[in-house]
Amino acid sequence: MKALEISQVTFAYDQNETAGFALRDFSMVVQAGEMHALVGPNGAGKTTLMKLITGQLRGCRGDIKIYGRRSDDPVALSAIGYAPQPVSVFPSLSAWENLRVFGVMAGLADRVLKERAMAVLEATGLLPYAKKRTSTYSGGMLRRLNLAVALLHSPRLLLLDEPTVGVDPQSRNNIYETLNALNAQGVAVVLCTHIMDEAQRMCSKLTLLDRGEMIFSGEMREIPDLEKFFLEKTGRSLRDDS
Amino acid sequence: MLRKLQELIRKEMLVLLREKQTLPLLFFMPAALIFFLSLALQGVYLDKFAGRQIMLVIENETPGPKSTLLEKKIASHRLVQRVGRPPGYSNDQLFESGKAHGVILIPRGFEEGQKPVQMEFDPVLDAGYKSATRALITSLTAEVVMGIDDIEAMTSNFIVEKTKPNMTFPGPLQNAVPGWSIFAMFFIAIPMSIGFLREKQDGTLQRLFTYPVSVHVVILGKLIPYYLINLIQFALMLLVGVGVMPFFIKFPFTLGAHPWHLVPITLVAAAASTGFGVLVAATAKAPEQSSALAATSAVLMAVFGGIMVPPVLMPVFMKKLAMLSPMYWAHQAYLDVFMRHAALNSIVPKLAVLMLFASVCFYIAGRKVKWM
Repeated sequence: MKALEISQVTFAYDQNETAGFALRDFSMVVQAGEMHALVGPNGAGKTTLMKLITGQLRGCRGDIKIYGRRSDDPVALSAIGYAPQPVSVFPSLSAWENLRVFGVMAGLADRVLKERAMAVLEATGLLPYAKKRTSTYSGGMLRRLNLAVALLHSPRLLLLDEPTVGVDPQSRNNIYETLNALNAQGVAVVLCTHIMDEAQRMCSKLTLLDRGEMIFSGEMREIPDLEKFFLEKTGRSLRDDS
Repeated sequence: MLRKLQELIRKEMLVLLREKQTLPLLFFMPAALIFFLSLALQGVYLDKFAGRQIMLVIENETPGPKSTLLEKKIASHRLVQRVGRPPGYSNDQLFESGKAHGVILIPRGFEEGQKPVQMEFDPVLDAGYKSATRALITSLTAEVVMGIDDIEAMTSNFIVEKTKPNMTFPGPLQNAVPGWSIFAMFFIAIPMSIGFLREKQDGTLQRLFTYPVSVHVVILGKLIPYYLINLIQFALMLLVGVGVMPFFIKFPFTLGAHPWHLVPITLVAAAASTGFGVLVAATAKAPEQSSALAATSAVLMAVFGGIMVPPVLMPVFMKKLAMLSPMYWAHQAYLDVFMRHAALNSIVPKLAVLMLFASVCFYIAGRKVKWM
């Protein structure tokens, strides 16, 4: 079953398309239970793609379907768990209060919300700090909370934008273990990352994106050295555009 | 939908109340302004209402029957406080030392009608007092010269004063309580815009939109808490005016004949200040910018709008300028209730102006705001 199906998506931030395309004729399929790496240089269009899938950006040409439903369908949105690249939690609220806000937005009933909040706090190692304001958290704790929020409503498709950037090896390991456990339960994961070793170790499928276009899609096992492959496909020149 | 709205309101309240500067800014600042400025201006208002006694040195060079009568009449008038000249003090020294505001000399030759009464005033004395004293001395001199016992009683058939007491000039509390409450209500724009822009910066606002929640619910979840805080602000400041200030100030603070009219005024004034906050949030690009923009605009609106200086004291040009400030219309609507005991239909036009201001703010903000 297709967890995510993106067909011929084209998108430009400028309506007149004079500033060029952020995505052009981009297609990608992620099967249920698959761990899929989405890699590309800075400015390739990865975050734009994530925002289109999650409904933060609208107005693209082409089709985005989540478990067969269009991405603007509320049921489709409910199936997605999204951990954005910047840690997006309310700093003056505790982890528990943050989870409550996002859990209610996801439509979880009170009892389920409590159970799920306990479960994700436990899984991410944040249970002892659940009542503390997140402004007192370390970078690693914030990253884990960012992931916990995404997992709260038991999504069937998980979109992770740089989930391990700037965290210590312990937190990184915790995040990997959590993702592996979820994947084993059949959750589809799209992992957007610049850490090639992470993508190669975690994911079975790869989509390589550059300048808004898909330049490779295939099995990860066919690529012996992802970093080398990445540089071969995208070149060695610096990409300073965001 | 209701549960999501409730949760967003709860979240906004928690975030707002946990900001260290919010409570002082929204509640302590207006309470302190009401307290200290009412006390500071009490003397000025006492002068306006009761009339300040003018300190006069009265000197009579020829104690004859007319000059003695005039001396007595001037000295015993309720607006005059007779003071003596310290030995060796010239008139200039009297004025510089603040021992007298004026000197009245009944000269030798007054009895015979050869020399007039002479008046000399402190050059910095308020022109209104100068002219009132001049008129007083003139009428008392006329009484003595023409042999009239009481000129005011004689003219009472021709001139009647019907001014209702305290109906045109607000007392210090009548001016300060609604004035500084409105000022603080407009300061809601600071935490409101900062909160909105911070959430945009850290991505939490965008993250809300990745859930099945309508944009209208998110907007209401942002507006309702600040609107409620505006209402609480006014209620608390009213309590300060009615319950606390009478212990410290000689002026009473009465709510007027129709205190329930405060409800629609406050509801509309809160809409105007919330609208202003939304406009600042939609216009500014960073929290620091929004804070400066909101504070500067609110202070300017207060200066022009008669919050800091009552419009009755302003020159005509400034009075017209005051009408550009939404704070003026809110303030005048409150003064209608407190002082003029106005009927609701005479307040409605002022509320209409405030509603128009709120609508324009919301409209422009709606066009400008970028949620993502």
